[in-house]
Amino acid sequence: MSLADLIDAFVNLDENRVLGIVEKLLREGTDPSEILEACRKATTIIGERFERGEYFLSELVFASEIFNSVMRVVLPELKRETKPLGTIVLGTVQGDIHDIGKNIFKAFAEAAGFKVIDLGVDVPPERFVDAVRTHNPDIVGMSGLLTISYESMKKTVNALKEAGLRDRVRVIVGGGRMDEHVKRYVGADEWADNAMLGIRKCKEMLGLGG
Amino acid sequence: MTGAELKSPEDLLKERFGRVEKAIELGEPDRVPLIIFTCGDILRKYAKGYELYFNYDRAREVSVRFATEYPVDVFLAALAAEGFIFALAFSDYPDIAPSVRFWTGPMHDALGDKYTRWPGRELPEDSIFQFIGGQFMEAKEYCKLSDDPITFLNEVILPRSCLNLEKPNSEKANVALIRLGVEVSRYLKFLGDSAADLAKVGVPSLPLTFAYAPLDFIGDFLRYPTGALLDVRRHPDDVKRACEALVEPILKVALSLKPAGAKYAFIPLHLNEYLSPKLYNEFYWPTLKKIIVALYEQGIKSLVFFEGWHDPHLETILELPRGWGIAYFEKTDVRKAKKILGGHTCIMGGVPPSLLLEATPDKIKGYIKDILSEVKPGGGFILSPGVADIPMPVPPENLRALIDAVEEYGRY
Ligand code: B12
Repeated sequence: MSLADLIDAFVNLDENRVLGIVEKLLREGTDPSEILEACRKATTIIGERFERGEYFLSELVFASEIFNSVMRVVLPELKRETKPLGTIVLGTVQGDIHDIGKNIFKAFAEAAGFKVIDLGVDVPPERFVDAVRTHNPDIVGMSGLLTISYESMKKTVNALKEAGLRDRVRVIVGGGRMDEHVKRYVGADEWADNAMLGIRKCKEMLGLGG
Repeated sequence: MTGAELKSPEDLLKERFGRVEKAIELGEPDRVPLIIFTCGDILRKYAKGYELYFNYDRAREVSVRFATEYPVDVFLAALAAEGFIFALAFSDYPDIAPSVRFWTGPMHDALGDKYTRWPGRELPEDSIFQFIGGQFMEAKEYCKLSDDPITFLNEVILPRSCLNLEKPNSEKANVALIRLGVEVSRYLKFLGDSAADLAKVGVPSLPLTFAYAPLDFIGDFLRYPTGALLDVRRHPDDVKRACEALVEPILKVALSLKPAGAKYAFIPLHLNEYLSPKLYNEFYWPTLKKIIVALYEQGIKSLVFFEGWHDPHLETILELPRGWGIAYFEKTDVRKAKKILGGHTCIMGGVPPSLLLEATPDKIKGYIKDILSEVKPGGGFILSPGVADIPMPVPPENLRALIDAVEEYGRY
């Protein structure tokens, strides 16, 4: 069983096979970072299938679940931390508790090589500000699906401005009802209504190409 | 609206409701009807969230104020949280089941349910309520649910999901149910009064009853949405059996309001967007379709809210009998829906909330002009903001532009 088998099992969302292969690879002494790299390749392929309309959200939910299970086993084994592409402070904005999409974005962003600081749901502006001070991220990612979330996102951007931090980060808003209108209303730099697009835009904002 | 002030409320009611009915019957009314729904967001213009959900008098006042300032063909304020699990648990009692379909703030106080959180309670006073759901059933319990849904809900799930019902037959639990009953009668009075208020200013409500897609019931009340999705992969046969078992009690709930004059069954869909056509057609659609068809045969049309992006499943709607009801779309482009479903299904939607929030009145009018030029011909279309609410900060002139635009470009 090889890394190629792992990718194949992951892409086909064969949960048990993925976990079995990972365990075996670790036992055989495979470098954990190579396992993560294989997962990154797998999630990239899954993302492509999603964008081509072959996979749907339920497949992304399942893929995130598998990715998280793999991370639980592999992370403790990881000797050297690889340098992340960038750091994202992520949260569902105040008043909103929808986080299935946010969690998918998180899993796929981590798989793509970002470090993600997840603040959870119903996150008030002050907590975003504090997290930016503490973690000095490259990107602030706000998730939200409710109509009240537009307001919370705007408040958060304003709070970043007042704290003098707005210029130090790029801001992306994500969720099913995001578009140019929302981006302008909120004062964000980018928007995304699916995780793959969001990851592309995060990379672009950091000058990493799509 | 132009000339509206010259007509009596009774005439306006007849005219507006007639317009909506005509569209539902796939006809061309005098103009495209405009329907506005809210869960409270836009009403926060006038009152704090706390007041909307705990103070029925204030809720009446602000609903009628909105309807007076922004008169539309149907206005519906659902100032309560999803409580379908109670309706289902009591579905053998048609006098009780539909009354506990929604939960208000005081009902949450009575039950201590873990499904919802409320302003002035778990949340700040100026927020809207939150339905948060939860996982209250184990995957291995599917068979109990399928064997006898009503007993399982009453004896296992309600004690788990409502703090005050934790110990059935305890003093606390019995008192909780009495409190709930008292509150329900206040709420029913509020609903009646509120509809009468609106009628006095000539704005109709819809005579609604309620149903649910079985898999969504499992996701929202028993297994959490992601749990239900994972179950579809890990325990496919259990899920299918449970969905089948839920059809009959759901129908009982929906039909319980028929004697009271309900004509339309509101069905909000949740997991539709997540599923591939293969999974949708295997786990979701068959039982939902059964429900819609059974209601149609009983003279009740469904108002199905196809939340999210429903494009991959649009064609399946053609499997329903022509004129089955209203397809309310959110992210699916109504132009595309009209092309596929026109002449078969009445289509509703078309206005993204972000447009109302950020665009200028001219842009909004232009947008509505364009969209109506495509979907108006042939009738069977109702204009409505896409997400069943309007963001509170939407400027008044933008709301006005929406209303004026239908008047201007919606005429047949
Ligand atoms: C599942 C669901 C729920 C679940 C949420 C479970 C959870 N933990 O998330 C439950 C049942 C609890 C729920 C509750 C409510 N809901 Co709800 N819910 C939905 C539903 C059906 C699906 C949302 C979803 O998960 N989509 C799938 C995910 C994967 O998509 P997504 O979030 O867009 O994420 C993708 C991208 O946007 C992106 N992404 C996400 N976040 C981020 C962040 C960044 C930075 C980036 C780059 C990208 C990114 O990546 C994801 C993968 O591609 C939608 C309708 C719909 N179909 O959208 C309504 C919906 C969002 N809900 C709605 C409402 C109103 C509510 C309630 C108020 C209902 C009520 N009346 O009680 C409560 C509100 C609770 C609260 N305060 O938040 C409305 C919101 C609009 C409005 N009117 O305000 C919707 C749109 C339904 C509608 N009416 O049209 N809901």
